[in-house]
Amino acid sequence: MSPALAQFAPLLAQVTIHNRTGGNAPCQAQQGKVFCFGWAADNFDRYTTPLLNQLLLVLIAVAIGFAIAFAMALISHRRRWLVPSFTGATGVLYTIPSLAFIFLLLPITGLGWTTAIIVLSVYTLQIIYRNTVAGLNNVPMDSKDAGRGMGMTDRQLLWRVELPLALPEIIAGLRIATVSTVAIATLMVFANVNTLGAPLYQQIDFKTNIVIAGGLSILMAIAFDLMLLLAQRLLAPWRRSQREATP
Amino acid sequence: MEADGRTPAASVSYRDVTKRYPGQSSPAINHLSLEIPAGDICVLVGPSGCGKTTAMRMLNRTVEITEGDILIGDTSVRDRDPSELRREMGYVIQQTGLFPHRTVADNIATVPKLVGWDRERTRKRVGELLELIGLDQSEADRFPSQLSGGQQQRVGVARALAADPPVMLMDEPFGAIDPINRERLQNEFLRLQAEIRKTVLFVTHDIDEAIKMGDRIAILKAGGHLAQYATPAELLMAPADDFVEDFVGADRALKRLALMRVRDINLWEAPLAFVGQSTAEIRAKLDGAEVPHALVVDSERHPLGWLSESDLRADTVPEKPDSGPQPLLDLDDVMRDALADLLQTETQYAPVTDARGRIAGVLSVEIISEFLVSPEAKVEEHDAVERPHGQ
Repeated sequence: MSPALAQFAPLLAQVTIHNRTGGNAPCQAQQGKVFCFGWAADNFDRYTTPLLNQLLLVLIAVAIGFAIAFAMALISHRRRWLVPSFTGATGVLYTIPSLAFIFLLLPITGLGWTTAIIVLSVYTLQIIYRNTVAGLNNVPMDSKDAGRGMGMTDRQLLWRVELPLALPEIIAGLRIATVSTVAIATLMVFANVNTLGAPLYQQIDFKTNIVIAGGLSILMAIAFDLMLLLAQRLLAPWRRSQREATP
Repeated sequence: MEADGRTPAASVSYRDVTKRYPGQSSPAINHLSLEIPAGDICVLVGPSGCGKTTAMRMLNRTVEITEGDILIGDTSVRDRDPSELRREMGYVIQQTGLFPHRTVADNIATVPKLVGWDRERTRKRVGELLELIGLDQSEADRFPSQLSGGQQQRVGVARALAADPPVMLMDEPFGAIDPINRERLQNEFLRLQAEIRKTVLFVTHDIDEAIKMGDRIAILKAGGHLAQYATPAELLMAPADDFVEDFVGADRALKRLALMRVRDINLWEAPLAFVGQSTAEIRAKLDGAEVPHALVVDSERHPLGWLSESDLRADTVPEKPDSGPQPLLDLDDVMRDALADLLQTETQYAPVTDARGRIAGVLSVEIISEFLVSPEAKVEEHDAVERPHGQ
């Protein structure tokens, strides 16, 4: 344990050192002020790289997490006995605190993007897997019966009936997973990836900085959420008409 | 699918079929043999748990046969790839099983797409079927949830007919529909069937539906035993055993009326009074007539009404007698409906006309009640004597 911890210590030290550098003297003097527009306008470009990094990190992590969780859901779909172990395994992974997770990966993948992507992808598994399984389970029996009775093979039934009908729940899972990934991505500064967490932790006592870095992160989460909601509306138009028909 | 459109219906033959589920001591279907001629509706009926759905599902191999064989034409279903086999069978189920995420048109096009029809052919076929089930073309792009239950079930039937299958499987297709719409859908389907002549395997638990829909009825009892396989009329006249008798119900003589047309019974003759004829002649005819009233008809023998006592006091037969001819029945009316008409209008007699509206005879409540107690329909009193209540 201790050698690994020793490896981790400089990282934390780095964060505290960063804390003292940067900033803007006249604005920092007004500690009580919540937001300093002048400073924000002058210094906005320092958030561009963290913002783009975080965006990329979230996209990659959710894409990988989705690919794995979706594959797991398909594998366990026709092998029901796998569901409890898959749910259990992804559940256990979900409980690992993110700092501890980075720390655990340190001897294997070191610090950097790989570690960050692994951590974030793993956290999405539970939510995406559970929602996909639930979506597939909720496909009406008679739709499946009719599909099979009309001569669909298992594969045709899956892609033409079951998955389209499970889509709203799958996207609902993606929405939760993406929003939480955006939040956890800020912490990936501890894996030495320059996300919005970097400026955030650098000047933790400077409110304007907190508002910009935190605000950008929140906006990113909201933007992802709305985009996925829109995708759900477009991909499952029958859902809305169903609601209209049965008020 | 032939070049000229129609696929001919195929006969279906169950040969000593048994289904045993693993871990169950008694079979679900026990040595079932049925011959279903091409183009007939065979209804599988029986109490719940009798295995009627299992029997049907073995035909499309959604349930596998344990012993015996089922032939479609001369080909065993065992020799067919299950998916290909099912694409050649229409499949209609109780809750419609329509795909909620697909439009009406896409639902109907399911099997044509599976068997690889081109777009144009599929589109044309969907249009034909919408017309056949009486749904407006504008409904084609709606989702099933936007249709009424009756419309959904019609789309279910259209979807089953899409690739013109020689055989149709219908599992309680009208079971979830309210009674008024069910009756309408049943009639529609019978009209459709007269046109398309598919071999239909129809599952229901409702004996009235079975009698109405079936050319042949297979009554199954618990344990998957075939109790009787017969035409509806045979079933009502000669139940094979106590089970069938019970299942068919004590009112089976009345049920027989549903199978009969007015032309199937010997009608009475009423003295005819032509408009303008002298009433004295009519009076003479009334003595000893089967019907004690004279029916006024025009020169074409179209009934106009009944001659009343006051009408008879005039010299000649009037054009408009005091009482009209209602209810006016047709030779092709179903006997049960005719009886209902008689009872509803509270009259003893109803003139019956042929297809051209000319008088063919008179039906009375008495004729029907005589028929019900005649030996060929008489069953109830016999029951009451032989079997005590509560059995």
